[in-house]
Amino acid sequence: MPTATIYTLIKQLFTKKATNPFPVKYTPDNMHAAAALIGSGKLKINPYVRIPPNFRGKMSYDKESCIGCKLCLKVCPSEALVFKEEEKKVKHYVARCTFCGQCADICPKDCFVLTDEFLIAGTDKYAEELIINP
Amino acid sequence: MSWNDFAVRLVLIVLIPLIGIFLGLLYKGFDRKITAMMQSRIGPPWRQPFRDVRKLFMKENIIPDNAVPWIFNGAPIAALVATLVALVYLPMGPFEPVMEGYGDLILVLYLLAIPAVAMAFGGLASGSPYATVGAQRELVLMMSYEFPLAIAAVTIAWKYSSFSLGVISSDPVWNNVGMMGGIGLALVLTTMIAVLPGELSKIPFDQAEAETELAGGILVEYSGRNLGIFYLAEVAKMVVVGTLMIALFFPHNISSWYSFGGPEFGGFILADVGADILFFLLKLLVIIFGAVSLIRVAFSRFQIDRASYFYWVPMTIIGLLGTFLVVLEGVI
Amino acid sequence: MRNEGKDETTYEVPIGPIHPALKEPFLIKFKIDGERIVGAEAHPGMNHRGIEFMGMHRNPYKVIPLSERICGICSIVHQHMFVTAVEHAASIEPTNRARYIRVIMSELERIHSHVLWAGVAAHEIGFDTHLHFTWMIREKVMDLLEYITGNRVNYAMWTFGGVNRDIPKKMYPKIEATLKYYEELYGKLEEIFLGDPSIRLRTIGVGVLTKEEALNLCGVGPTVRASGVRKDVRIDQPYAAYGDLDIEYQLPSLYGYKDTGDVFSKTLVRLKELVQSIDIIRQCLDQIPNEDINSEPKMAATLNKLKKADGEGIGRIEAPRGEAFHYVRLKEGKEELDCWKVRASTYNNLATYAPMFMGEQIADIPIIAACIDPCIGCMDRAEIVDVNTGKRWEYEHEELQRLSVKKTEKLLGGLKR
Repeated sequence: MPTATIYTLIKQLFTKKATNPFPVKYTPDNMHAAAALIGSGKLKINPYVRIPPNFRGKMSYDKESCIGCKLCLKVCPSEALVFKEEEKKVKHYVARCTFCGQCADICPKDCFVLTDEFLIAGTDKYAEELIINP
Repeated sequence: MSWNDFAVRLVLIVLIPLIGIFLGLLYKGFDRKITAMMQSRIGPPWRQPFRDVRKLFMKENIIPDNAVPWIFNGAPIAALVATLVALVYLPMGPFEPVMEGYGDLILVLYLLAIPAVAMAFGGLASGSPYATVGAQRELVLMMSYEFPLAIAAVTIAWKYSSFSLGVISSDPVWNNVGMMGGIGLALVLTTMIAVLPGELSKIPFDQAEAETELAGGILVEYSGRNLGIFYLAEVAKMVVVGTLMIALFFPHNISSWYSFGGPEFGGFILADVGADILFFLLKLLVIIFGAVSLIRVAFSRFQIDRASYFYWVPMTIIGLLGTFLVVLEGVI
Repeated sequence: MRNEGKDETTYEVPIGPIHPALKEPFLIKFKIDGERIVGAEAHPGMNHRGIEFMGMHRNPYKVIPLSERICGICSIVHQHMFVTAVEHAASIEPTNRARYIRVIMSELERIHSHVLWAGVAAHEIGFDTHLHFTWMIREKVMDLLEYITGNRVNYAMWTFGGVNRDIPKKMYPKIEATLKYYEELYGKLEEIFLGDPSIRLRTIGVGVLTKEEALNLCGVGPTVRASGVRKDVRIDQPYAAYGDLDIEYQLPSLYGYKDTGDVFSKTLVRLKELVQSIDIIRQCLDQIPNEDINSEPKMAATLNKLKKADGEGIGRIEAPRGEAFHYVRLKEGKEELDCWKVRASTYNNLATYAPMFMGEQIADIPIIAACIDPCIGCMDRAEIVDVNTGKRWEYEHEELQRLSVKKTEKLLGGLKR
């Protein structure tokens, strides 16, 4: 019973596959060595997917211009921001952040900017790079 | 039978099942890769089934509390043994069946039924409602596809007046029929192709396992070593059914058309034997691609009553019509 | 497993809470006679996460990101409803541009949801090829949503009085390209889901819901439109910018098919809505006015206004799965929500399971279960747990009515005194 599907299937056997491959097939044993090889052009990697223009990634915090108005604490849905009384500044736990960007919207001094950084996964949620202004 | 002959057969009886399992896993890897490619995916590497089996044999073997242990554990072994035994009675490539003269087509058909029955018993013994439904479906499906399969086998056997697979495969059946018989044989071949997915429990006839309906059906309670043995039985059955189809319909060999010549060993020309083996593997590949991989991705699963109807009515009629044409030509 | 007593041929097969036919935890107990279904009983409540309770301890702004996490696929729907409900309660008017952007986003999500559903339906009948195909083409609309909002799943687009992010002119070409992509592929989708013989075999005449049953059981969305019920919130009670747009009820009879209410017509309605969504987005891009995206640019001012607001509001929209509903009550001087109630479309459509399952085969369970596009994460809003004993149960209709009468009597008694 030849159906339209069969023709499509045979055609797809020879066309480019839709899967986005990983940059390298298997995790290299040594990341730094692999990075050096890529840098010198000896190791070819699959092209990665670009992030969109207004991507919402890890927050950057301008500590100097912060006035300690606590407005951002009012709109943070996941309590990722904690106020430091003695310093009158905020502490940001990246691991709790939901990247909604409401703190950036409400801040009167525009201290918060959502950057393009997305490689923020880690095993320790209290690691140094996952807490801004510790 | 001389002692020498006996020893050779003994070695082959041990060797051929191992080759069968190896080939089965290889073709399973091919099947998975090619279906993935047809669905525009990259798919697993061809050696993935080997890894799967290794991992399954390492895993814990769980027997449910309300299962009947001896049936539950015995079913996979019965399935695997029956499948592997069938392999020794089948001609592979240029070679005659190892046990030629001790068993024929009828025996192979019976052996092919055992894995399905064993799976059904294993399912019934595992004490899960899903497995029970799956087992019922497996038995219904088996009763449905056995008849068209028998029609196909009997038609070929009638043509040769022999059930011996050695005789049948020595001369391609297409050479012995004329125009009308050819059409009849083509119809019988259609029946055989339609039986293949059912025999191997593949979509559209995988109702017994039906992942989205029964969560694995008869295999739902199986794990670890038992599941691994079922896996091996499944892949070996793929080779057995493929080889049976080759023996019945396409026993052509390159050596009958062209001889490469060269060194000889024990009455065989080595280059010719090699070419024949490669040709046999290629035929198997084409059959598995056409009757398993392609059909598996191009159709949806049928309801069990529709599947049963499909075998009992259209396929049986086509098969009988084919037989009638072949016999009519023979009588005239 | 087998029932003792007179009815010996039936046995019970539980589907769920964890089962490959269901994508979310949910339990349906089937009574089976051979392969035929003679009884079905749905037991929801396995996916209750207490989101409403959490929402009642936060101020409205904190609830927006929470509301989109009710469900992964309906994230725009729940945001939209919640924001509309709060705006209704606090009398905030969004700008017209924001209304249009909301429509565009909602329709993009409808495309996403329907394409995803088509893939799931194909998977349920064992047709994985089309699962892979539809999910491949679904990537395009997800890319577009990511391009507009900056994220693939949780968009954080809505805010009180408007939207967070604008759709500037430079984004139009990419939106148009995506719409064109779907228009070109639509023919192929139709060929697959309406033309493929093995899919037709599994969908025509399966899971029939008659018009009377659909009306009696208060089903919503494509589930009942397939039975010929003219029900679409976008037309019946226009919200956002739908009042300005040209929309029509998508019924199978509009395209020369019969309003049979089987799985086939449900597929047809969903595919036609995909085309309709493309058309709506085009209309929006043409008509969108040029103004601010938020009526109150200062978030802090809105926050204060919400604190002072007093009243209740409802958000009622047509989600891809059917009508859904949010109720919000705000109290003056109270920062948190006083009350928040979510009623998702699956809650209504669940009742339609009973007539659809009856008399069908086990093999049809997955496709019928999927044909209402169930979203258990959206639906499971209530479960009663006795804290002292740890016992869990759900209230039946009679029990709830008895309790309501009791409460009313109590209130009336209080008034008299």
